[in-house]
Amino acid sequence: MTTESLAARRTAVQGLGVIGLGLAGLAAVYVLALDHTPVERFQGLPQKIFYVHVPAAWCALLAFSLVGIASALYLWLRDPRLDLFAESTAEAGLVFSVVMLTTGPLWGKPVWGTWWTWDARLTLTLMLFFLFLGYRALRGALQDPSERARFSAVVGLLGMVLVPFVHLSVYLFRTLHPQPIVLKPSSPSLPWEMLRTLLLSVGVYTVLLFGFVMTRYGLGRLDRAGGGDDAR
Amino acid sequence: MGDFLRVAIAVAAKDLRVERRSKTALVSAMAFAALVLMIFNFARDAAALSREMLGPSALWITFAFSGVIALNRSFALEREHGALDGLLLAPVSRGALFVGKYLANLTFVLTVEAVALPLFVLFFGVDLSGALGGIVVTAILATAGFVAVGTVFAAMTVRTRFAELMLPLLVLPFLLPPVIGGVQVTARLLAGRPMSEIMGWLRILALYDLVFVTLCLLLFPSLMDE
Amino acid sequence: MPVDPSANGGYMVAAYVVTAVILVGYAVSLWRKTRRGRS
Repeated sequence: MTTESLAARRTAVQGLGVIGLGLAGLAAVYVLALDHTPVERFQGLPQKIFYVHVPAAWCALLAFSLVGIASALYLWLRDPRLDLFAESTAEAGLVFSVVMLTTGPLWGKPVWGTWWTWDARLTLTLMLFFLFLGYRALRGALQDPSERARFSAVVGLLGMVLVPFVHLSVYLFRTLHPQPIVLKPSSPSLPWEMLRTLLLSVGVYTVLLFGFVMTRYGLGRLDRAGGGDDAR
Repeated sequence: MGDFLRVAIAVAAKDLRVERRSKTALVSAMAFAALVLMIFNFARDAAALSREMLGPSALWITFAFSGVIALNRSFALEREHGALDGLLLAPVSRGALFVGKYLANLTFVLTVEAVALPLFVLFFGVDLSGALGGIVVTAILATAGFVAVGTVFAAMTVRTRFAELMLPLLVLPFLLPPVIGGVQVTARLLAGRPMSEIMGWLRILALYDLVFVTLCLLLFPSLMDE
Repeated sequence: MPVDPSANGGYMVAAYVVTAVILVGYAVSLWRKTRRGRS
């Protein structure tokens, strides 16, 4: 095994360690959310979906921004590591998007009576999902590594710039989503027990994102070093 | 600067000349637009949805889909005849190449829209008085934006195997702001709403155009690199 | 108006299960790819 594939494998294994940590944290969040956090008065039990849904949305958006930034940097610096980072982060973002898109309707149905609403946030999350998917599909359809890196970087960058426009457009259009109640300049409207559960969950999800990206990056490096499975 | 414009116009003119001779893409796109409008009319439950309510959406969906079809053909000709490499070998600015392609595509899509609009008026019995100018301006604004993105994506997907599928998949999210804005403005203009309600949407459309046309112009050269 | 706290619990369970399945499932697939990558 070359030093390169050894180093790559080490990265992947370390990433797995981080993921393990994240999953343990996830279990803790589950216990905290289900057993030690008060039930919300007006929405009842389904409100607890909040603790698995919102962090997923946060991670998907974070992942997407990272892909956009890495794409821009790649187009400027042409460093293939940036391309691999973007590829890995996009995959993780896709995973979190799926979580978001499945938990969202499960929350919406009991609370608002409908599986789906075309409000600003849900529409944006659906769009992110399609952008991640398109990014992945394009990469899969291009053989030449330089072409693949450049083209998907253009998509990544354009996609990142698109996000605020869609948000603005849909927000102007209609909003049904609960108003932001966490990130207010004054004290948040969430009671402390709920806030701490949410923050812990966001932290855990972010750790998972980090672990996913790290592992996938290592696998990608391994693949490119010729030492591993097809991780594309 | 003069060189740049000359190249751009030459590229655009060539594309449009080719299209004018064969006319296949233009005629197909127009027929498609007519069919979409027709289907919309029959697909509507006349008791529940008035023509006025459905109209703007039908119009803009027609614009969007015809636009995507038009963009598909954008680089198809070059691919078929392997002419893209020849084009790139010429010592011309990549930016000029983009502007030429962009202008050709824009002209093409606007032409299809110009045909779709009277059909829309006909099929939906719409009273355009006073709204025509606004609708035309909005159509141009919205189209200018998504054609820029579509031109870049067409250049990319022409190299892939499932180009006809890949292009819509990539470009559809980018259609959201122009189409949402377009529908909102059209609906309000037809309902005779005051300009103040419309300005916000027009500003978004204009900003979208500015940002994306500039970005696409800057990014296009990296697509053509070797 | 306040709801019965135990109503609609099924949705919550479904969401928590689906989330776990997706996240753990992806983690497992990454783990398996890493193992297979051993030469």
